[in-house]
Amino acid sequence: MSSRTVSETPAGVVARKYFWRGRIARRLMKHRSFVIGAVLCTLVLLVAIFAPLIAPTDPNRMAIRFRFQPPSWDFPLGTDNLGRNLVSRVAYGARLSLMIGLGVVLLNAAFGVLLGALAGYFERLDGFLMRLSDALMAFPSILLAIGIAAALGASATTAVIALAVVYIPRTARILRASVLVVKEQEFVQASQAAGASHGRILFRRILPNCMAPLIVQLSFVFAYAVLSEAVLSFLGLGAPPTTPSWGILISEGRSYIREAPWLTIVPGGAIAVTVLGLNLLGDGLRDVLDPRVKMDGA
Amino acid sequence: MLLWSRRIFQLAAVATGALYANGALADSKICGQKGGDLIFGMEAKFSTLDQHANAAHSTRNIAMNVFETLMTRDENMSPILDLAESLDISADKKTYTFKLRPNVLFHNGKPLTSADVAASFERYKRVGVDRSALDGIARWETPDPQTFTIVLTAPRATFLESISASTVPIVIVPVEEASAAATHLKPIGTGPFELVELVPDSHVKLKRFDKYVPNAKHKEISGFAGHKEACLDTVTFKALPEPGARTAALEVGEIHAVEDVPTLSQKRLAENKDIKLVRLKNAALNVTYPNQSASPTDNVKVRQAILAALDMEEIMEAATDGAFDLNPSFQFPGQAYYTEAGKELYNQRNPEKSKKLLAEAGYKGEKVTLLTTRDIPRAYTTAFVMSEQMKAAGINAELLVLDWPTALSISMNETKGWNFFFTGWITVTAQGGAQSLRNLADPSNVHKPKDNKSDPIFMEAFQRIANGETLEERKKAFADAQARALDQVMAFPFGSVPKIQATRANVEGYKPFFNTRVSNVWIKR
Amino acid sequence: MRAYAIKRILQAIPILMLVSLISFGIMQLVPGDPASLLAGPNATPAELEQVRINLGLDKPFLTQLFIFYGNLLKGDLGHSLLLGKPVTEAVFERSPVSISIALYSLVLTVIFGLAIGVLAAIRHNTWVDQIATSFALIGVSLPNFWLGLVMIVVFSVHLGLLPTGGYVPFTRDPMGWLVAATMPAVSLALMQIGLLARLTRSTMLEVLSQDYIRTARAKGLSEIRVIAKHALANVMIPVVTVLGMILSVLMSGSVIVETVFAIPGIGSLLGNAILGRDYPMIQGGLLFVAAVLLTLNIVVDLLYAYLDPRVRVR
Repeated sequence: MSSRTVSETPAGVVARKYFWRGRIARRLMKHRSFVIGAVLCTLVLLVAIFAPLIAPTDPNRMAIRFRFQPPSWDFPLGTDNLGRNLVSRVAYGARLSLMIGLGVVLLNAAFGVLLGALAGYFERLDGFLMRLSDALMAFPSILLAIGIAAALGASATTAVIALAVVYIPRTARILRASVLVVKEQEFVQASQAAGASHGRILFRRILPNCMAPLIVQLSFVFAYAVLSEAVLSFLGLGAPPTTPSWGILISEGRSYIREAPWLTIVPGGAIAVTVLGLNLLGDGLRDVLDPRVKMDGA
Repeated sequence: MLLWSRRIFQLAAVATGALYANGALADSKICGQKGGDLIFGMEAKFSTLDQHANAAHSTRNIAMNVFETLMTRDENMSPILDLAESLDISADKKTYTFKLRPNVLFHNGKPLTSADVAASFERYKRVGVDRSALDGIARWETPDPQTFTIVLTAPRATFLESISASTVPIVIVPVEEASAAATHLKPIGTGPFELVELVPDSHVKLKRFDKYVPNAKHKEISGFAGHKEACLDTVTFKALPEPGARTAALEVGEIHAVEDVPTLSQKRLAENKDIKLVRLKNAALNVTYPNQSASPTDNVKVRQAILAALDMEEIMEAATDGAFDLNPSFQFPGQAYYTEAGKELYNQRNPEKSKKLLAEAGYKGEKVTLLTTRDIPRAYTTAFVMSEQMKAAGINAELLVLDWPTALSISMNETKGWNFFFTGWITVTAQGGAQSLRNLADPSNVHKPKDNKSDPIFMEAFQRIANGETLEERKKAFADAQARALDQVMAFPFGSVPKIQATRANVEGYKPFFNTRVSNVWIKR
Repeated sequence: MRAYAIKRILQAIPILMLVSLISFGIMQLVPGDPASLLAGPNATPAELEQVRINLGLDKPFLTQLFIFYGNLLKGDLGHSLLLGKPVTEAVFERSPVSISIALYSLVLTVIFGLAIGVLAAIRHNTWVDQIATSFALIGVSLPNFWLGLVMIVVFSVHLGLLPTGGYVPFTRDPMGWLVAATMPAVSLALMQIGLLARLTRSTMLEVLSQDYIRTARAKGLSEIRVIAKHALANVMIPVVTVLGMILSVLMSGSVIVETVFAIPGIGSLLGNAILGRDYPMIQGGLLFVAAVLLTLNIVVDLLYAYLDPRVRVR
């Protein structure tokens, strides 16, 4: 997955001082990849938010008479085997796919930061936590996700947990590496000398300076989550099919790929556009926030 | 009079002599040409070929070309002898004496003896899935190498129906393999084909067993028995799980036959002169059964209300993309036990009646959970459309969609958390009679009746199906049982589904059946 | 160097212990059991229980774990419940399939990934760069199983160029293997090509801006020589790491690509084992795959340490 190409050592500590300042925002707005990515992501987000307005009918509303309608004026994206409108299903699918992606990102951020920070800051925990993450990373990622999803029973929540678990070790490692570098910085040493508590040093001094690589990583985790959710759904281990995610749409459509190819192509395209948007966004963020590794999309 | 009385079997034995002279002639007729490798595209992946311990349809498709049974079902699902050449039933109807066909060899070269049969029965009793078929047997004996005798504790009219059932057949394996643990059986049989290799998820390759001697008593294949010959050198069953890819592979000539053609592709294939469609009109019964232990389906009025609301035509139309027959019976039309008893309860489309029944039941919008799986698209779509129809009738239906192993295990082991389970009855329905309703009878009741005891009125009728002296009595009993099952909503059919298969035009002798049979199939060059 | 190698290998042992514990734990949580699958929906509760006893599933968790470790010490990974053969045998049958397709994808990845990356870098900010970068981006954004489905329709159904699925062992028929493995290898490789191209491009750009390259150019060396001799050599270090990573992704097989193309690899073996609740297969198979991946990682790290001596000190 793309996120592992992100440098595991933090860089540009100096740049962090400007992190949340307007300068960064201005530079991002000038970065072409970022802008294109942001536009694509916003578009998908809008579709997801306004799905009830975009959808001409309920996504589960059947009309057997109108089944397998190819795209036309009446049905811009066609209809499926039960005559359900694909516009509605893809729009609502955006909701679920993004929600699962967001869930994975949040869970991943929370645990990744916690474990990464603990491992980086407390040397005694480091060995154990890193072996644990090695063990989790020794599993082929999708098999681990399938195993967890099967263990917890197929649902959207399970999909979120399964995918988050798979990527937490990777995020934790990136954060640990940042913490290790920042820990040695003068201002941290000064706090320690001044007798500040571990919690204060970790959360007030160190973590705010580790945000850049984390944000970049999370944008890729999001992309990964959207792709992997589709895999889980395809295998029948994702969200229940009554709330259509894009993976479920592909999986349902593939039986009819010869006679009704739009059922497979449209949701696949939706996934591709979203992931593309997220990748572009991630590239932009990386170039601006974490300048050591330049992908130079501008 | 018994349908398969002693006399019929003896007549058959006499006829053997007359037919024998034509044996050689019949041979050349069956295989127009010999040789070649037939590639069969299959839906499902393959797992162990241990036919005793595995009830999977996909296993039978392959294993039943390798193994044979003492007795099985013929093309019309009546019992028929296969490895036995005669059966003699004692006057007290307790002792069944099978004479084995001479000159039958296992694929390992060893001749078949009654010791192998006894060992196979022993193993089936130990690990066989349908081992209840052997209930009521006092003992079996092997008086000589060609004779196998079964002694019952009490006469049982449907005993032969039970041991010949082809759902999980009691295949005969060599005595030295019969100690294998469940699923570990080596696939050594007596059938016309022997196993070359099995690569799960990919393919299974069979080759002709050169020392196979066809059963000369018959002219044609019948069920899993009859006159079987391996015309082909080899047969490769190839797993092609993507339906689109499977059909495409047939169209481009990559494979010679497909197990299942999607409804939408049938028209296109029918127009293709390189391809022949093969149709088995009634291949599966699309059914559901409620959980009678979970609220609110523990209330018979709620169940009746749900049944009253349903439009079976819409459900079947959606579930099969339009290829189906409405069918109110737990039998397929044309089967001996087929009956329309209770027909008025099927396909009622009566929301008013439904509302009335719900009111009587005091239904307050409790959740009704329809448990299904997306691994079987037909079951899923059936459940989906049924849930929509229930909602329209004011019932709080909710789908619970899990992967097949989980869903199946919940339906089998849990009495809470689900209200309806969706499946297809294929061979149990095809077997006919008591077999077709055994899922609703003790002890294998699937609908979780209170205290694990099925409805007494139904059970009374079921006992009459199992033990009735004459076919007429048993048919009457079946009608009673079906009417009761529908009235109490112990299970109900949505309709029957055909099986459409297809072969290349140069494939000859392929006959549709519930499972794939590659004997007597040949390729014209 | 040797001390570093020994350290890495010793670290692998507790990791593998954890791996087996995690996979065992997950499997204990999984609902549904192989007994109900084998017995089928028509079995009675008593029959079901019998199947469970036959399979040894009635034993308590710790006993099963103990049996597993006991057998492991004897080099026995157990017996698959659904395939009716030893786990090691199944794993050794399936691995070559995934490995051969992985190597095929790796070759595609290296050739196209490097070529696209280098091309984009030396034609920086031209239309060549634009196209190459876009291609790489699209590569990392497409769901590979979806791409597989679409390719089946285009290349098998409509053009009739490639088989729809299935696998031919290389040893039996090299041409047949090539034809059958092409679509799966491409579906797997596309994302990796995208990744490698992006990495190569950025590394290359960084290298090209270094002083010694300017010096080399100033000395009047031809551009091709500059690129081939100086720049590419430096690009190799990060590329090797990424290749190791790519190979481990490819080696573990892709459940989904193998499913779509009906390929009997290790990915579909383990995926189906999980879906079919074949506990011993999951246990043994995951442990085996994890061991292979760890070995690969160690080899890559050692190679990296060899190429870049600074690593050893860390």
